[in-house]
Amino acid sequence: MGVASDKCETRPAHIDAILNGLDRYNPETTTVFQDYIAQQCEDRTFDCYANLALLKLYQFNPHLLQPDTVTNVLSKALTVFPSPAFSLCLALLPPSTQPFPSTTEAQAASQTSDFVESVQKLARLSTLLESAQYAQFWATLNSDDLYADLTADVAGFEELVRIRIAVEVGKTFREINVDILEQWLDVRSREALQKFVADVCGWKVDGAVVRVPTNKENEARSEVKSEHVGVEMFGRVIRRGFEQPA
Amino acid sequence: MSYDDRANARPNLNDESDVEEEALVNDYREQVNFDDSMSELDRTTSLGGQSQTQDLQAQLAAAATPLEYQATLETKFASYDNYCSLFHYILNSDGPVDLEVPSVGVSLSPPHSSIERTGKVLAFPFLYKTNILSDNQYYWAWDVIDEFIYQFESFCRYRNRVARSGSNEEEAQVLRENPNTWGCYSVLNVLYSLIQRSQINEQQAAIKRGEDPMAFAGEYGSRPLYKMLGYFSIIGLLRVHCLLGDFSLALKTLDDIEMNKKAMFARVMAAHFTTYYYVGFSYMMMRRYADAIRMFSHILVYVSRTKNFQKGGNSYDAIAKKNDQMYALIAICVALHPTRLDDTIHSAVREKYGEQFYRMQRGGPDALPIFEELFRSACPKFISPTPPDFDNPASNVDPVDHHTSIFMDEIKNTLFNPTIRSYLKLYTTMDLKKLAGFLEVEPEKLRSWLLVNKQRSREIRWIDGGLLDGEPAIANDLDYALENDLIHVSETKAGRRLVDWYLRNLARVY
Repeated sequence: MGVASDKCETRPAHIDAILNGLDRYNPETTTVFQDYIAQQCEDRTFDCYANLALLKLYQFNPHLLQPDTVTNVLSKALTVFPSPAFSLCLALLPPSTQPFPSTTEAQAASQTSDFVESVQKLARLSTLLESAQYAQFWATLNSDDLYADLTADVAGFEELVRIRIAVEVGKTFREINVDILEQWLDVRSREALQKFVADVCGWKVDGAVVRVPTNKENEARSEVKSEHVGVEMFGRVIRRGFEQPA
Repeated sequence: MSYDDRANARPNLNDESDVEEEALVNDYREQVNFDDSMSELDRTTSLGGQSQTQDLQAQLAAAATPLEYQATLETKFASYDNYCSLFHYILNSDGPVDLEVPSVGVSLSPPHSSIERTGKVLAFPFLYKTNILSDNQYYWAWDVIDEFIYQFESFCRYRNRVARSGSNEEEAQVLRENPNTWGCYSVLNVLYSLIQRSQINEQQAAIKRGEDPMAFAGEYGSRPLYKMLGYFSIIGLLRVHCLLGDFSLALKTLDDIEMNKKAMFARVMAAHFTTYYYVGFSYMMMRRYADAIRMFSHILVYVSRTKNFQKGGNSYDAIAKKNDQMYALIAICVALHPTRLDDTIHSAVREKYGEQFYRMQRGGPDALPIFEELFRSACPKFISPTPPDFDNPASNVDPVDHHTSIFMDEIKNTLFNPTIRSYLKLYTTMDLKKLAGFLEVEPEKLRSWLLVNKQRSREIRWIDGGLLDGEPAIANDLDYALENDLIHVSETKAGRRLVDWYLRNLARVY
């Protein structure tokens, strides 16, 4: 299966046409892309390449920038971790947003607007997800109402993140302690966990552990990569055999 | 599945590309020699030129000549106007215009009279195609586009610096009043117009399909000059998008260009070089390190083979600098994605960045400043396309700082991958708590590190199609899975290679 980051299965034809033409630079298409990201938030799809085109329009026409739309794009990018999507989005934002302030003083100095603060908050969440600190991620997310506001437009934000975490766990673990998984998925009760892993992941809870069925990623088989031998490699030898009968 | 497998499956491909490379090295030698005769030819023609064309000639020459380092703001504005009127003339006259391009020595190296020419031409008959005038047009077209973008880049950086320092009120005022000079829309407009006029993308797509490009060239695109301006504008777009931080669009721009040694950009050393630098860098920023390494290695091997011919040229210093930058980038990529490098490259990396390379490969907090230092020294000079805020000097951040901090966030997240790998290599099974004890970290933290390392050992890798295409691949020999707190480690080993040995000996016997 091939993956190309400029394609997206759920992308409508009119968006595709804009992306492939010069209209992607036309400030008038900004509204089209804004509607498209609103739609992605609603129907839980994600089109990184199109969202980058919107951020590029903002980069060229700063007066058009809508802070809410940008934070929605960033929140959507959080739901596809681990991936470079979030950093690619940050790269197109105004440098003054300083997504990763080096010290707390620098952070205080840079937070001149709500927009900057929002970007920095989302960047913090991204760091926690990308560095697999899932328990801290949920703690941070629940620590401030602002986070809830930032992710409110993204339908099923928490569930999407929870599923991504489960997928990553499934790739690394064959068995995992229930308490740890509860923290990582931020599910409060044993019943809820049981329901989630059974319904969404197809895993089984067995006493104090959750068993993950073997998949391609978590089997970790040792193998010796042997050389590929094809008939064509011997073509010359065989031909010579015909040309010069012994 | 892996790189080795494919290289192994098609051994002939490598051989062929070696032959190509050999030809290209020689081709380069030819170009260097032709320079001699070419400048003479141009001198005679320009002597007999009419006075009306003098003005245009001056414009053409200026467009391909670098501005002085300390050029005043006034000169920069004038240069912008010069480009505007020149491109307007080229693009919006009644039909394509005939230009007698001046001879420019910017990309050319001085002739090496010591190299024998005659013997080589016979050895590579296809080189007869090399036409003296057309080569000059190649260089001129490249120099114009290259210089155009360079001036855009340095103007944006200068403007940003004036706003940041807030000291030169006079210049700030001039810049504030002219927000559209060197505007991103005008620059992109020029590049896209040149591309569209020459229908170069259609032509390149036809070449890829194995059809005759001339059938798609149209009135403009069939003229060599328009064709080359269009072609180099694509490379220019790659660069501009990269400078603006749009790495996926940068790679997308090259969809119709073939990345091999026969490509048109390979005709001009600086173009060849630039293309691979920006493609490699864009891959790196998309976390596709294997692809980045492939790009950097390709060009660095090529340069190391042609090095002797460039020494002393005007562009040699620029190329040498980019060369060092690419070694720094390849060192970063290998630290993030351990892999075997070509021997020449590996020894050059160790020679240039030995200590830093070692420390980055070891990872941990000590490596952080090294990553940052090398990234800053080797990244493109990022720009912000819109006028800065002159009234609040403090609110303007250098775009290089912006991109560095984004890159460093990923480095911080993956800082302990080398540590994990070096320990796990020693075991087949290991208790997580015990390993956490060795590393003196909380078990919870170690679990995160293990997850991160697992995630980063999967990456998208190009196989064929556009540069953005690719398939997920395992980037590491070391794999593991956790059964609760028990880590099962597995390692993929390369088996012995016998076929090559067998064939060689068979050939000897028969």
